[in-house]
Amino acid sequence: MKRGGKVWAWFIMFLGVLYFFLPLLATFIFSLKARLGELSFQAYINIFNSPQFMYNFLASVMWAVLTIIVGILLLVPTAFVIRLRVPQARSSVEFITLLPFVIPPIVYVFGLVRTYSQPPLLFVNSPFLLIAGYTILSMPYMYRSVDTGLRSIDVRTLTEAAQSLGAGWGTILFKVILPNIRTAILSGAFLSFAIVIGELILAQYLVKPAFAPYMAYVMQQKAFEPAAMAIVSFALTWLAMGIIQMVGRGRGAAQVGGGH
Amino acid sequence: MTVSDAVKRDAPQARPARPKMSWAWLGVVPFFLFTFLFLLYPSSTIVIRSFQDSITHSFTFQNIVTLLHSRYLMQSYWISIELSLITAIGGGIFGFLLAYAAIRGSLPRFMAASLMTFSGVASNFAGVPLAFAFIALLSPTGLLIGWMRALGYNPYFHGFTLYTFTGLAIVYMYFQFPLMVLVIAPAIEGMRREWLEASENLGASSFQYWRYVALPILGPALLGTMILLFGNAFGAFATAQALTGGQINLVTIVIGSELRGDVLGNAGVGYALSLGMVVIMALAIIGYTVLQRRTERWLR
Amino acid sequence: MNTKKFTFQIITLLLVATFVLSACGTPAPDVAEGYTGTVVKSVPQDLVDACKKENMLTIIATPPDWANYGEIFADFQLTTGVKINSLDPNAGSADELAAIEANKGNTGPQAPDIVDVGYAYGATGIAAGNYMPYRVTTWDKIPDTLLGIPAKDPNGFWTGGYYGVMAILVNTAVVQNVPQNWLDLLKPEYKGQVALSGPATTSNQAIQIIYASALANGGSLDNAQPGLDFFNQLNMAGNFVPVVAKVGTVAQGATPIVPFWDYLAFGYRDSFAGNPPVQVVYPSPTIASMYVQAISAYAPHPNCAKVWMEILHSDEGQLAWMKGYAHGVQQADMEARGVIPADLQAKLPASSSYASAVAPSPAQLDAALALIKAGWMTTVGVAQSTVTPAPTP
Repeated sequence: MKRGGKVWAWFIMFLGVLYFFLPLLATFIFSLKARLGELSFQAYINIFNSPQFMYNFLASVMWAVLTIIVGILLLVPTAFVIRLRVPQARSSVEFITLLPFVIPPIVYVFGLVRTYSQPPLLFVNSPFLLIAGYTILSMPYMYRSVDTGLRSIDVRTLTEAAQSLGAGWGTILFKVILPNIRTAILSGAFLSFAIVIGELILAQYLVKPAFAPYMAYVMQQKAFEPAAMAIVSFALTWLAMGIIQMVGRGRGAAQVGGGH
Repeated sequence: MTVSDAVKRDAPQARPARPKMSWAWLGVVPFFLFTFLFLLYPSSTIVIRSFQDSITHSFTFQNIVTLLHSRYLMQSYWISIELSLITAIGGGIFGFLLAYAAIRGSLPRFMAASLMTFSGVASNFAGVPLAFAFIALLSPTGLLIGWMRALGYNPYFHGFTLYTFTGLAIVYMYFQFPLMVLVIAPAIEGMRREWLEASENLGASSFQYWRYVALPILGPALLGTMILLFGNAFGAFATAQALTGGQINLVTIVIGSELRGDVLGNAGVGYALSLGMVVIMALAIIGYTVLQRRTERWLR
Repeated sequence: MNTKKFTFQIITLLLVATFVLSACGTPAPDVAEGYTGTVVKSVPQDLVDACKKENMLTIIATPPDWANYGEIFADFQLTTGVKINSLDPNAGSADELAAIEANKGNTGPQAPDIVDVGYAYGATGIAAGNYMPYRVTTWDKIPDTLLGIPAKDPNGFWTGGYYGVMAILVNTAVVQNVPQNWLDLLKPEYKGQVALSGPATTSNQAIQIIYASALANGGSLDNAQPGLDFFNQLNMAGNFVPVVAKVGTVAQGATPIVPFWDYLAFGYRDSFAGNPPVQVVYPSPTIASMYVQAISAYAPHPNCAKVWMEILHSDEGQLAWMKGYAHGVQQADMEARGVIPADLQAKLPASSSYASAVAPSPAQLDAALALIKAGWMTTVGVAQSTVTPAPTP
């Protein structure tokens, strides 16, 4: 069975790589056409010459990292409590976590601005509002990842074992449960990261530096630079994910309920 | 002392003695507080303005009435649901296959890690850049079309076009597959090899393994992820707008045309449409919860 | 275990540090980057001083490449020494008014001071109470009417700044035989090549393209329906591409024929610099549309907003727009005074090429916008093309 499985797996991967790679290749080749009649990296030179590109990209990276941290701190305990003790809350929590999909971003942003631009709730200039907004937007993905992760480990046994050894809740959450849902948290972190990098409307209307508004703005006037920016941001985001994964994997192999 | 006292003392407690309920609900308070402050309250305009006239701001049911009576507006819901369902199921299936192949297909180890990180990036590669990538590939002057024409075959002569419902679904898969991969990966990793080996030892075929062991266990996770894919596609609009210019009237595009842009729309109807989306999502969750309960019965 | 956590923390710190350092090295992006301006001496000095105290001007929906606004940004920043804060360059006119309303009590950088909106939004903004009246010192130089429509609000709530004429941008690397007029677009040789510059339900430019085509298809300024019929025909013939055309898709060849406002089309032509080669064609008849500017009623920096308006209606401001190929409202007056440089005059398209341009009255415009916006989906949106487009050479 292993032999057969392998061939089948290679085939699927091949299809996947083809599907994902070709559009990127097309974008890349187009981005090389900035000079008439020849292939060159002119568009890339233009991008890197502009200080705005790196400034906005790094700003988005920073927002992303902070959003991931807030998301983990908020959602892991919540999902844990729901699985373990308060299953009655599950439906309403899941409904709430799926709301960001169906609320049009422009409605949401204007609502945020209206709510927090009047004293005494004058938070509209604070970066924390942006991070809160991003956390909400990435909530569906982070929650679903964490929930899937918690499903695949035996939460009850782990918790009771830790409790019987005298662990407090903080220790249980962060030293027992969290390391066991590493993959799930990483998934959620990846998704949140990508969402924040690609998010357009929140950053625009809260007037904070971010990558997607900058890219949208360049797209209005330039033909080749946006394609180059798409490729560069794709590559840089992938690199950032690689870094997150490298430090996040840690012990990796030694997981309860996992095992390669 | 008495028999009943001894029974009470030795019988396993149905519940621990300390009052757990109040403590446990405290655990979800931060979540509800956070989402109230930063999601529910700011978005309450949807509900309020659905019942307000766009210009006079007086209370009215007219927006809802207009919505329910408009064949065109109701049709936009169906188109969105259809697209979301197709890409959720299709994306779910192939995404699952990809994740399973990478994690359990005995492939070189770096492939699983690369797939995960790539999926992280690709899951949010949407909107205008994604539309443009497919245009650069499949438009009449696109890369792939150019290669095919060099080989003597022009798909455009045979009725192919990217800018249809099907084309849009294909483009949507670019962020649906990776989303599935990322979220289902932990569940796949949680499938212990011992189960597969045990079922092989007992003489089960591959099909039986899947039918009686793997799918029941993965069922709830698969369903949960597909609802995520559904929601993801349901709320998307930038890709569709860039690719088909609003020719395919997804409900998100219609909402955008009422609430945003250069030309005034009927904001009240826009909010009513958004309220409708919330209702549909609620119904989807109810359906999913019911399915969840049934599949979870297989687990215990 | 602890080393991995430690590494993670270090990397996070490094990222944050990188950002902070690069942020220190790079000040917030300058909207006038790449443009040279001059000090506009005709602005009253007391306004300039008051503006310096306010120390910010927040504009919205105004990219520097739009009709050479970048030069006006530079003019403003040089004249006052105050930085411009540019919000959401991609916004539409409705978004601008929505931003004014959403930020009513907010004096922070999210509240716009100035808006530049489509002609229909002059009246809309007044009705919603979004504008503050102000008469610039050059008020009398602005004509009362231009092309048959009012060029300024009698009470000073808005002023027309410039207008554009609908033209067609053609990528000549893809299209050998350049279409000269609206009805040419129906020819079979243009299969799969004609696109709109925005979604037909939200973009002012896209809707006015349809409106303009009505004039050539048996309609009039009062009757925009033939425009919808024309695009329906275009769609059924397979010539219409539903992609939202941008500079990139024109260059890539997916949307080689796109109507744009002439100032945008010429601007793109210049920025392409031959890669790809393009031509700008004025169809006949065509439509003209004025853009109006107004000060927000809740502007946090009203004096800077007034300085801005003064600059827009100064010679320097009008000339800047004209360098961007837009038609300044004060052009006739400036020609009479002989203040337009000869080389600029030579660069601009001859006015005879767009002599057929007509401008709808506010009532006609409102009716047409509503009709097209409502009719698009049911006329063109539902019909799917079943004809295969021809390949491009």
